[in-house]
Amino acid sequence: MKRIKWKNLANSVLPVFFALLIGAVIMLAMGHNPLNAYRIMFERPLFTLRGLTNTLHIAGPLLLAGLAIAVTFRSNLYNMGVEGQLIFGGFLAGLAGAYLHIPNPFLHKFVCLVVGIIAGMMFVLIPAILRAFLRVDEMVVTLTLNYVMMTVLEYLSSGPFRNQGAGYVSTNTIDKTAMFNRIGKTRLTPFFIIAFLVFLLFFFMHKRMVFGYRGEAVGKNPEFAEATGLRVRRHIVQVMIISGALAGLAGAGHMMSHEFNYTLSFSGTPGIGWDGMLISLLGGHSPAGVLIAAVFYSALKTGSDNINMYTGIPKEIVAIIQGLIVLFLSIRFINDRFGLTKRWRNKRNMKGTVHGTFE
Amino acid sequence: MALLNRILYDAIYHTTPILLCVIGGLFAYKAGVLNIALEGMMLAGSFVAVLVAVNSQSVWLAYLSAIAVSLILGLVFSYMSVNRKGNVIIIGLAINMIVPAVAGFVLQSMGVPNLTAKWINPVIFRVHLPVVERIPVLGSLLSGHPIGTYISFLVIFLAYVLLYKTKFGIYTRVVGESPETAKSLGIKSNYYATLAILIGSLLCAVAGVNLAYERLGIFTNNMTAGRGFIAIAAIYCGKGEPLKSSLYAFIFGLARALAVNLSIYAGNVAALFDIIPYFVMIAILAVNAGYSNRNLRMRTYW
Repeated sequence: MKRIKWKNLANSVLPVFFALLIGAVIMLAMGHNPLNAYRIMFERPLFTLRGLTNTLHIAGPLLLAGLAIAVTFRSNLYNMGVEGQLIFGGFLAGLAGAYLHIPNPFLHKFVCLVVGIIAGMMFVLIPAILRAFLRVDEMVVTLTLNYVMMTVLEYLSSGPFRNQGAGYVSTNTIDKTAMFNRIGKTRLTPFFIIAFLVFLLFFFMHKRMVFGYRGEAVGKNPEFAEATGLRVRRHIVQVMIISGALAGLAGAGHMMSHEFNYTLSFSGTPGIGWDGMLISLLGGHSPAGVLIAAVFYSALKTGSDNINMYTGIPKEIVAIIQGLIVLFLSIRFINDRFGLTKRWRNKRNMKGTVHGTFE
Repeated sequence: MALLNRILYDAIYHTTPILLCVIGGLFAYKAGVLNIALEGMMLAGSFVAVLVAVNSQSVWLAYLSAIAVSLILGLVFSYMSVNRKGNVIIIGLAINMIVPAVAGFVLQSMGVPNLTAKWINPVIFRVHLPVVERIPVLGSLLSGHPIGTYISFLVIFLAYVLLYKTKFGIYTRVVGESPETAKSLGIKSNYYATLAILIGSLLCAVAGVNLAYERLGIFTNNMTAGRGFIAIAAIYCGKGEPLKSSLYAFIFGLARALAVNLSIYAGNVAALFDIIPYFVMIAILAVNAGYSNRNLRMRTYW
């Protein structure tokens, strides 16, 4: 058991290492000192109090987006629409924050968060039902719905809900009562605590409750799960709805603690939903792994601004490193049984048998 | 009449890159590999074509280098997915992330927001068909397009012949439909899957060149704007058959053309035309799936 855990860790760390290595080669080729650049990139966001709280602040929505993807991946579903659900949740939470004037700050925040969650859940219902009852590939549907949502929100934010006073496309800023304020002098807001509580909930659900086990059973072998009496269809819909709710919450939180109004670059490039994909992969789809990956990724994200400011290397270098991490994460560097020795043994065995070529 | 002509012309114009991606992607689809890196490969084609054109002032070098870079991406994709058995979706996503990052990196270090090949006059790529040009509606439909458009329509039939009438196509389909059969027949699955992916990256490069280089001579980052994903959806709807999938590509082109041309009359709302094809597609997927499920007569299993 311990051995396997160690290998899982290696399979997450090695891709990061190789990606950073290639990034270093690119920087060297451009005549910069890569060690210096990496020091600047990681020192501030991880080892200063202000930087660290900022990193955690950014990590909140990322953590939720990562969980949203992890929960579906475990059941072998692909909710690629986290990005769409997230911006929808953020947008509607923003409208609730700007147009519903509720004087009680707690109630107002609560309403906004609930609106965001419901938005995410409603939007994921289309692919979930199509998947569960008609067996339509949920990946294609969620992917395409992202573009639908982006187009619709672009229209809504530049048409009916546009803030006429702003010089660029944006919705009205949310009320003070709907904003999460900073805690003390740090950049942390209460939203991070909410995100962390959700994480704890998942951590225990995954480890101690039936739901986590059921998810894995459906993911590993749906026929078997069905045969033992699990209701696979209902489970698929449940998992997708949970994923959508997490995405919606992430969007609402991002709106209420960071952006405060919906602009066309609300979730940045490549978008928090896509970042969540990387985070979930990096964390091996386990809640604890997702937490660590979210913090690391957030440091990478905030560090990219530093690298641009202090070294003159374009900050896209970080985007390249991110892409490379994903690329290397797609294959397992170390197999559950050692790949190299196994291959060698196979070769030796094959020589002895007549039908060796058929494996 | 002028409006109709313009909509028809634009429909073909917007169909071209999607169509090329569709035909490119369906080979991989038939070989059992889902290639969602179409988007990234197309963007790489656009980027490299304009970058080389700006620096070398050579029309043909731009074409060749775009194709070469896209093929390299195809090799990376096929090595990771076919040889190392990695997760295709993740590899595709990675390529879709890396290409705009590299493009952004190069643009940023050159200190420009986008690339413009000023010496290119897009008119030189336009092909005017001598007689057809005069016919009222047909003329705007068929004449005056860039080379890529004619290639794309030619490629539909080439793909059909290649998939259904040659040994290569039959073997590729066997590899996709029944890997065990392929193995028992001694077909080199990896070889055919790799070749199918490479055909895809070749056509994606042509699509990218068409999008950025033949039309405008300008590259802006993320200019492919999800066309690769539209292509994937079209392939799924058409179940990887060249003619059917191409039809879906055309539906997208038509909707895009309507959105662009009607925005003069309808204003902002016309942008919503863009989402119609997505819904059409999801509806088609649902109907297709429901239909085939009914024939299966299985138990409640999903």
